[in-house]
Amino acid sequence: MDVKFLNPFIQAAVEVLKTEVDANAIRGEISMHKSALTSDDITVLINLIGDVYGVVMYGMSTSTCLNLVSKIMGQEFAEFSTLAQSGVAELGNVISGQATIRFAEAGHKSNISTPTVLNGKGVEISTLDFPRIVVPLETQFGVLTVHLALREKRTLETPLMNMTISQDES
Amino acid sequence: MNVKFLNPFVSSAHDILHSETHESVQRGELRLETGLYQTDDATVIISLIGAVDGTVFYSMSNGSAIQFASALMGEKFDTLNTLVQSGIAELGNVITGQASMRLAEAGFESNISTPSLIIGRGASISTLDYPRLVVPLTTKIGSLTIHLSLRENPNNNLKTPQIGIPTAFESAKS
Repeated sequence: MDVKFLNPFIQAAVEVLKTEVDANAIRGEISMHKSALTSDDITVLINLIGDVYGVVMYGMSTSTCLNLVSKIMGQEFAEFSTLAQSGVAELGNVISGQATIRFAEAGHKSNISTPTVLNGKGVEISTLDFPRIVVPLETQFGVLTVHLALREKRTLETPLMNMTISQDES
Repeated sequence: MNVKFLNPFVSSAHDILHSETHESVQRGELRLETGLYQTDDATVIISLIGAVDGTVFYSMSNGSAIQFASALMGEKFDTLNTLVQSGIAELGNVITGQASMRLAEAGFESNISTPSLIIGRGASISTLDYPRLVVPLTTKIGSLTIHLSLRENPNNNLKTPQIGIPTAFESAKS
């Protein structure tokens, strides 16, 4: 996976966290994983399709999630209700949407899927042969971990255009 | 969720399971669920973006996953190892790909995402306000349950604008 996909997501996440919940997110240590991800309490999963494709996951603990959602919605959440689910899904959606806008500006057009919210600690999420870049973002509400398993689509046009046509000299 | 999206998936899954396992495939009772989906041992998740938007899950037990992967790859497996995982992810990919071709023939062009796989029972997955149409398919060697959480999106017919308009037509228009 190409590291150039990392920054748009980090920037988008930091910005969205700042505007939505007024959090100063501090980036933790970046790591690369080939194995399956063992889920935290809550994972928001969003697929990308297009020039950049793959899956992005946002993992967090239940308390972090409730803190973030309470702040976004301006209402206290004590449990992970359906409203809280849609709140955290929307957070993932906004971050991914912002990141794809940045990709598009850099010439990589992609679309994002509807979010899927996984609730349950300890199940394995495999991105198969896509390695993951993992970035923890620390805020006063808790840690939001961004997992990126993305790839760039190789366009067919370049090799086709470079094909040399042999000249018949006879 | 629109029931017209069901048949492309059920018939693709039926055809592919039948051709891979050489067993007859029975369709179980169809139901609509709005609550959370409790994961089975293995779940393949694939998203659709385009004229049909949403997510498809293929869930199965450990035993079924191993049997399907063994049939698919012509090799005997005993555990849900990474090879089996990529086998069932590919099964989900092929079914979804064929279903999306059938949907495109019906005028709903969509792109499908890469598959993700959830291994582990008992987590719950929410598709938010998208209800799910659930169809179990059973063969002699194992069963596969399809969960469709799809929606029609007439504003997002992806492929048509992607085909560039020839410049000759474009200048003629202006």
